[in-house]
Amino acid sequence: MKIMQVNAEKCVQCGACMEACSKAYFKESSQELSRVRVANMTGFANINICSQCGACIGVCPTQALERDANGVVQLRRDRCTSCLMCVGFCPSASIFFAGAKQTEPFKCIACGICARKCPTGALELVVVPAKA
Amino acid sequence: MITVNGELSPWREGLTVQQLLDEKNFTFKMLAVWIGDNVVDKSRYSEAIIPDGAEVQVIHNISGG
Amino acid sequence: MANAPMKLLAEWSYEPSKIHRGYSRKTLYIGLGNKDGDYSFEQRPVSEDMIEKFTGGRGFGLKLLWDAVTEKTKWDDPENEIVIAGGPFCGITQYPGAGKCYSVFLSPATKQTYNSNAGGYFAPFLKFSGFDAMELQGKADRPVVIFIDGDSYKVSIFESTLEDINAYAVSEELHEYFAKDEADKRTISVISSGIGARTSYWAGMNFSFYDVRRKAVRLKQAGRGGGGTVLCDKNVVAMVVKRTHFTGLENDPADIGVIQRAGASLHKRIHDLDDRQCKMRSAGTAHLTEIMDDYSLLPVNNYKFGRHKDIDNISSESYIKLFTQGMADGCWYGCSLACAKAVDHFPLQSGPWKGKEVIVDGPEYETAAGLGSNLGIFDPLWTIEANFYADHYGLDTISLGTGMAFVCECFELGLINIENTHGLDLNFGNKRDIMELLHRIAHGADEFAIAVGKGIEVAREYFAEHYGADMETMKKIGMVCQGLEASEYRCQESIAQWGGYFLTLKGPQHDEAWLIFMDMVNKQLPTYEDKAEALFFFPNFRLWFSLQGLCKLPWNDIEPADNGVKYKGIEAARVPEHLQNYLDIFEAITGKHLSRDGMIEQSERVYNFERIFNLRMGKGTAKYHHAPDRGLGPVWEDEWNERPEYFDGKLREFGIETEGLSVREKIDLLQKRRREQWEMLKMAVYKRRGWNKNGIPTLATVRRLGIDYPEVVALLEKHLKPEDEFED
Repeated sequence: MKIMQVNAEKCVQCGACMEACSKAYFKESSQELSRVRVANMTGFANINICSQCGACIGVCPTQALERDANGVVQLRRDRCTSCLMCVGFCPSASIFFAGAKQTEPFKCIACGICARKCPTGALELVVVPAKA
Repeated sequence: MITVNGELSPWREGLTVQQLLDEKNFTFKMLAVWIGDNVVDKSRYSEAIIPDGAEVQVIHNISGG
Repeated sequence: MANAPMKLLAEWSYEPSKIHRGYSRKTLYIGLGNKDGDYSFEQRPVSEDMIEKFTGGRGFGLKLLWDAVTEKTKWDDPENEIVIAGGPFCGITQYPGAGKCYSVFLSPATKQTYNSNAGGYFAPFLKFSGFDAMELQGKADRPVVIFIDGDSYKVSIFESTLEDINAYAVSEELHEYFAKDEADKRTISVISSGIGARTSYWAGMNFSFYDVRRKAVRLKQAGRGGGGTVLCDKNVVAMVVKRTHFTGLENDPADIGVIQRAGASLHKRIHDLDDRQCKMRSAGTAHLTEIMDDYSLLPVNNYKFGRHKDIDNISSESYIKLFTQGMADGCWYGCSLACAKAVDHFPLQSGPWKGKEVIVDGPEYETAAGLGSNLGIFDPLWTIEANFYADHYGLDTISLGTGMAFVCECFELGLINIENTHGLDLNFGNKRDIMELLHRIAHGADEFAIAVGKGIEVAREYFAEHYGADMETMKKIGMVCQGLEASEYRCQESIAQWGGYFLTLKGPQHDEAWLIFMDMVNKQLPTYEDKAEALFFFPNFRLWFSLQGLCKLPWNDIEPADNGVKYKGIEAARVPEHLQNYLDIFEAITGKHLSRDGMIEQSERVYNFERIFNLRMGKGTAKYHHAPDRGLGPVWEDEWNERPEYFDGKLREFGIETEGLSVREKIDLLQKRRREQWEMLKMAVYKRRGWNKNGIPTLATVRRLGIDYPEVVALLEKHLKPEDEFED
């Protein structure tokens, strides 16, 4: 399955990943609209991005979250009721929302756009063995 | 003697919060325990010693079934 | 039925009103005629005054019912209505517990107004179809199914061809009938009752939702007060609503961001803390059984005792093992508290579906205690079976449990015998015969079962008249007030909770206040004034949920981790951070600012209006606020002897020396003293609520609240007497 691998020690906190992500999916540059979040934690970079663990799948009341053929957890917006339970139940708080833009939450789908923009290799698109 | 929620209750040397809760059969989970004006952290119930004469409050925080 | 088309009797199309800031500002009126097939439909406007004064939900229900009936209307007159209304919060998906609605009607059991709430998808779908409320009036000339199609904006009335009118059968058939395919079933919600509604006053209404994981219909209940009996009397087998498309913005709120932030943070809190707090996600409200036992609050054998040696059999651990875990068990989208537990693949041992494997919703705490310990039964499998059939037959599990517990004690005391019961041995704990009684009540099988199913107040008259049972004894032990059976907590040792049960608008359930810990354990309400303050604040605060379309559980069955240490005293019990969420979300939906005081005032208007409505129906005065002896203390020696030192201590608190007194004498003394305390409490509460000594709101109160409508003032002037005024 595909996931975004995080190498936080390489991160220089330039923000290029967030800009690339929000531009790709929301056509504007905004950290609030990015599916990857880089924060400065007392001098160190903290990169918050979905690990495709799938904990959210069981929580969703409409089965709007499901794993695709690549093992990536996808949110099917046509089934989503915007309840945000997945947001609260994500173990790593990696599902985001921005009501003004769209009511449904959004998350990383391991597309690799951010990794291509990352100058240091702090984010990498990798293939790992599938989860059971 | 100490008071627990305003009522007299026997005291002994080394009495801990947890022992008091067990003796009173206060098994409810959403409790707040105060000794005088100080709140006792949940993780310290087994080691927190209640002094003689203390005013203990064991507040059950529910207001509705 | 097998999808054979039902015959269309009437049809009506409407122009939907778009929801703006939480309101569509339209209600739906459906008239069934007077057994003459004269069906009618109307889309009625909601006035600004109605929103200002009645807010929504139960407030709208009471206002619409007031306008529909007169002081002479009986529950089974065609003028009686069932009004169903959500409220401005109803249909929000982002914050837990926002799918509720209230059903308001004149009750067969209480002979005054009743209102009962339920989850399920009906209320949100009704609102998304363009209606803040619906009124159902009249009586159909044949059994009908009403279909509100929120997709094509059409309301239809069909002749029912349903052979089995029990809830699961009706709900499953109609989800199938009105859905295009399997996936479409979740766009439908059905209200039904069951066969119990034909003779019993305990029949409630089942509200369905479709569980996409189980691929099955689930039911939630507006169980109390006999709404199902009224529905059946109107010849309505089911009401169905369908609404396919909706978004997270359906309420057109003023500020979605506020709602999203509050919702996401509460979801996270539930995720982090529920396992350590109330275990709603794993056990639901059934987590309470062993806690109530520890504090002598669990009703055992018609509330005689507060605990039992076999408690482990019905503990939350036992139920957690029986409940299917890891499912999304919310009864509306976004409820991460998810207390709607279910037992899957349950093989029925009795009744018409014997041998069938079913999904059972619950049991919730009330059912685990009412159809369990209170009958002397400590067998979860029996309780689950009884729960299933009660729902299926449309019977309210609480009244059924308390009512049958009363009958068991009558049997134990020899007030009724095995001839009267038509062969049933109704001693506490007799599982086989008590289950048989449940089936007989539902089917109205014989005159004994029919009398029992009409509730304790009717049953005891019947037992006295036909079996010579002693009325005075039955009045002492029957846990009933205002025609409604008590819910499943023992309130004897908490004076404040006497009020929480017996100084209420609609009878002894605890939707107004549950003050037992605050009063009896925490000792935070030492004086009558303190108790009266709590019996002012909590009923009004909790009523507020019923105006909005909200469930109460996400308010205080989950708390911020530091709630109990950050806030001291009674303030902690208000869960200030969650209370603030509600104020913030109200403003985010409606665009109108609401303060804490404003919140209580919204409730107080409806609280007093409901009280006055009951006065209008010939009730609503002090004499109907009557607490039975069993509610105040031990009645028989065995109850005293469960905790003799404790009760001796209680007598000594009154300065009574217990030496040399028999247990009987002690019981009489304690009852006498507590009866005096009860009267003190009653007066303190009436005064705090702005009522007179007869429990009637004063003119000053209704003027302050702005509900001094001419009809209201005229009614009060007729009933307010100078001698009932409080001094000062």
